Amino acid sequence: MFKFIIKKRQAPLVWSSCLVFFGALVLSLAVSAIMLALQNKPPLTAMVLLFNGAFGSLLAIQDCLIKAVPIFLCSLGVAIAFRLQIWNIGAEGQYVLGAIGATWVALRFPDLPWFVVLPGMLATAFIAGGLWGLIPAVLKLYMRANEIIVTLMFNYLAILFLDYLVYGPWKDPVSFGFPMTREFSTSAIVGKIGHTQLNWGILLCIFSGVAIWIFFKYTRLGYELKASGENIKAARYAGLPYHRLVMLVLFLSGALAGWAGFLEASSTINRLQPSIVVGYGYTAIVVAWLARLNPISIGIASFLLAGLRVGLEHLQLDLQVPAAFGGIMEGLILLTVLAGSFFVDYRVSLGKKS
Amino acid sequence: MVDSTPSYIRLENISKSFGAVHANRKINLDIYSGRIKALLGENGAGKSTLMSILAGQLQPDSGRILINGKPVAFSSTKAAINAGIGMVYQHFMLIDAMTVAENILLGQDKRFFLNPKKMKCLVKDLADRYELDIDPSARISNLSMGEKQRVEILKLLYRQSQFLIFDEPTAVLAPQETGHLFDALKQMAKQGKAIVFISHKLDEVLEIADEIAVLRHGQVVGTLDAADVSSKSELARLMVGREIMLQIEKQPLEPKQMVLKVEGLSNNLLENIDLEVRQGEILGIVGVSGNGQKPLVETICGLHPPETGEVFILGQPWNRFFLQRPWENALSYIPEDRQGLGVCMGLDLVDNFLLTTREGFSSGPWLNKRKAEIKAKGLIEAFGVKPGNVRALARQLSGGNLQKMVLAREFYRKPRLIVAEQPTQGLDIAATEDVWNLLLKAREKTGILLITGDLSEALTLSDRIAVMFEGRIMDTFSTSDTEKTRQIGLMMAGIAPV
Ligand SMILES: Nc1ncnc2c1ncn2[C@@H]1O[C@H](COP(=O)(O)OP(=O)(O)O)[C@@H](O)[C@H]1O
Ligand SMILES: [Mg+2]
Repeated sequence: MFKFIIKKRQAPLVWSSCLVFFGALVLSLAVSAIMLALQNKPPLTAMVLLFNGAFGSLLAIQDCLIKAVPIFLCSLGVAIAFRLQIWNIGAEGQYVLGAIGATWVALRFPDLPWFVVLPGMLATAFIAGGLWGLIPAVLKLYMRANEIIVTLMFNYLAILFLDYLVYGPWKDPVSFGFPMTREFSTSAIVGKIGHTQLNWGILLCIFSGVAIWIFFKYTRLGYELKASGENIKAARYAGLPYHRLVMLVLFLSGALAGWAGFLEASSTINRLQPSIVVGYGYTAIVVAWLARLNPISIGIASFLLAGLRVGLEHLQLDLQVPAAFGGIMEGLILLTVLAGSFFVDYRVSLGKKS
Repeated sequence: MVDSTPSYIRLENISKSFGAVHANRKINLDIYSGRIKALLGENGAGKSTLMSILAGQLQPDSGRILINGKPVAFSSTKAAINAGIGMVYQHFMLIDAMTVAENILLGQDKRFFLNPKKMKCLVKDLADRYELDIDPSARISNLSMGEKQRVEILKLLYRQSQFLIFDEPTAVLAPQETGHLFDALKQMAKQGKAIVFISHKLDEVLEIADEIAVLRHGQVVGTLDAADVSSKSELARLMVGREIMLQIEKQPLEPKQMVLKVEGLSNNLLENIDLEVRQGEILGIVGVSGNGQKPLVETICGLHPPETGEVFILGQPWNRFFLQRPWENALSYIPEDRQGLGVCMGLDLVDNFLLTTREGFSSGPWLNKRKAEIKAKGLIEAFGVKPGNVRALARQLSGGNLQKMVLAREFYRKPRLIVAEQPTQGLDIAATEDVWNLLLKAREKTGILLITGDLSEALTLSDRIAVMFEGRIMDTFSTSDTEKTRQIGLMMAGIAPV
């Protein structure tokens, strides 16, 4: 008889984590293909369609990049919180609050020039998203409310608040009853880069990514975060300010999601309406785990999962695959990659049973 | 119901090492049904390791286990449970969201659907038989520690375990729950179960055990019948070792300025503690662990304010000292739990070096990693930490090297007072000597409060010794006072010196 011997590796293997990632990706695509076949859809055609739809043309790739922007920002945010083992699953709501904050500036000051309005929107989105993250932090620290539940509930609150605004006080008088605000004035719209479909929001992503990287590597606060996330008891022993760190982390986390909401309202839709809520905040959680919280990997994973969304739109159109299939595929990828990461941390070998 | 055929387990020459640490060395032990066997020993003596081997959790390096004379080998806890051996661990393994009955029957019944009523009856019957008071339909999350423990016991009883092992079961219990547990243990023994009771508390062992095996440094240093134990001091002495001083160079120093003064410190665990530590001396606190050392350390290190009495550090009252920030540099605490408290196992040595020294390596919001790396590299070389690579993760270091790393970091801060708790526990001999030499060297510039359960360590390092028993200091005396040092065993058992 043989049995498996499982041993923890001293240090996780670096190259194997790439291998595992792509292996898991292939596996989840294979399972998706089987599920398509079960619905009498041609699985191979579907896979080709999925790939071409996402990455087959310059226009498609641009579309992926546009969708990757909000996913990246939200994911960067939740990854910071996860570092401290704070489970913020409220990126969706923080994103909505960011959009609301930015919209307030856009609607209130339509006549100011862009170099006043856009920074104003950037700031209000940052603060609104950040505060939406800070409230669960305060509830966690002072009333011992579990942040998973609170951040999740706050998503629904945020969406209802958005609905209230666009059905009520902020409703466009000439929208023929559709729930949406007026279109933003041009000074409140983040412009496109040259003749592409891409907007300058990508710069904000690069800026945030680099800033976070520097924060963790070179600042004292970043170090304190890393150490506390690693071992909370040791952090307390060394006198690290845990309460402050939790509040900081959830504020930053929410602020980054808030920026995603700002960009989506301003540059993609040019107004506030309920359809900006498409689940980027949840995809961001998947992305953060896939990327093992590493900022560069988050960039890559955001692009891939944005690609999945874009490709699926084509599948939906051409093969009448239900929209929910996207969620299933996302889940499959996450599960296979998480299961696969076991092999990065552990060595499995065959041994004889005594 | 009494099991008709008495059975027994024999452990023969069991050895087990973790790296350089010999957790168990050629241990022989017999366990009989119907009797309560106590395993007595200080922290780190190897009690949990030995019993984890018996329970199939660990595999021995050598030696064998026999049940009723037949050799057996357990590759898993499941195999051990099937052979009738079950262990109640220090940490409970229960599912909080489920009921008592569900936890007990979980995975035991092969049928898919379980009838809740029948489940409750089954558990109720079992609990009544052993006089374990529990509500089968209560949720685990609503139970006290004592009740959770009862559920763990019932889990084993339901699986018809004949040999039940309890790893420090009283550590989590309130005093009155301890009484209930002891009644249950006696009841189980009366019904023919074999009980192993692990503890480092003398009184408990004497109260409950039929036989006692004393472990020290991985070896059995004595097996006695509880009825034959004439004095507690005999047991205490067996536990903490001979009164010998090891050969290590120690310069006599003139104690200078007072760095710690404790006057009449009392709370519910401490009674009128008086202490003094001066720069240039080591005060060793000896005693069986659990006699108040922990609350004393926690107060001195700033975790709890003193309730009654006064604590002065560097001449300043406790309140004032811990209110100002620079205390971080003046006081250094070397915790017993170095892996859980002293370091972050997943970070590299530079990051771990920064853990308590970051004040010195930051300017404004920025952290000077390069400077820290150079400093850490130098210290690691000077203290002989291996591997000498500062980018290695803490978890890749052996226990001894990890401790040297912690000492290097703490000494770097140039503290005026060091509180060192069990600084060589779990280290091999070479590392122990290194740590001792480092502490002696540090003594030139600081005062050291050494808390230890190892008598030879206390005698080797300390200039003066204070013996603790049940939250009191029995006596404080110079290590050169041979009359007093000979009576340490007695004092640890609560008997005043003559
Ligand atoms: N998994 C392990 N890895 C390395 N060392 C261990 C491990 N388990 C125990 N040890 C060491 O073995 C020795 C005995 O530990 P243990 O059996 O837990 O003692 P006790 O239960 O008597 O307090 C200690 O020095 C401890 O540090
Ligand atoms: Mg133990």
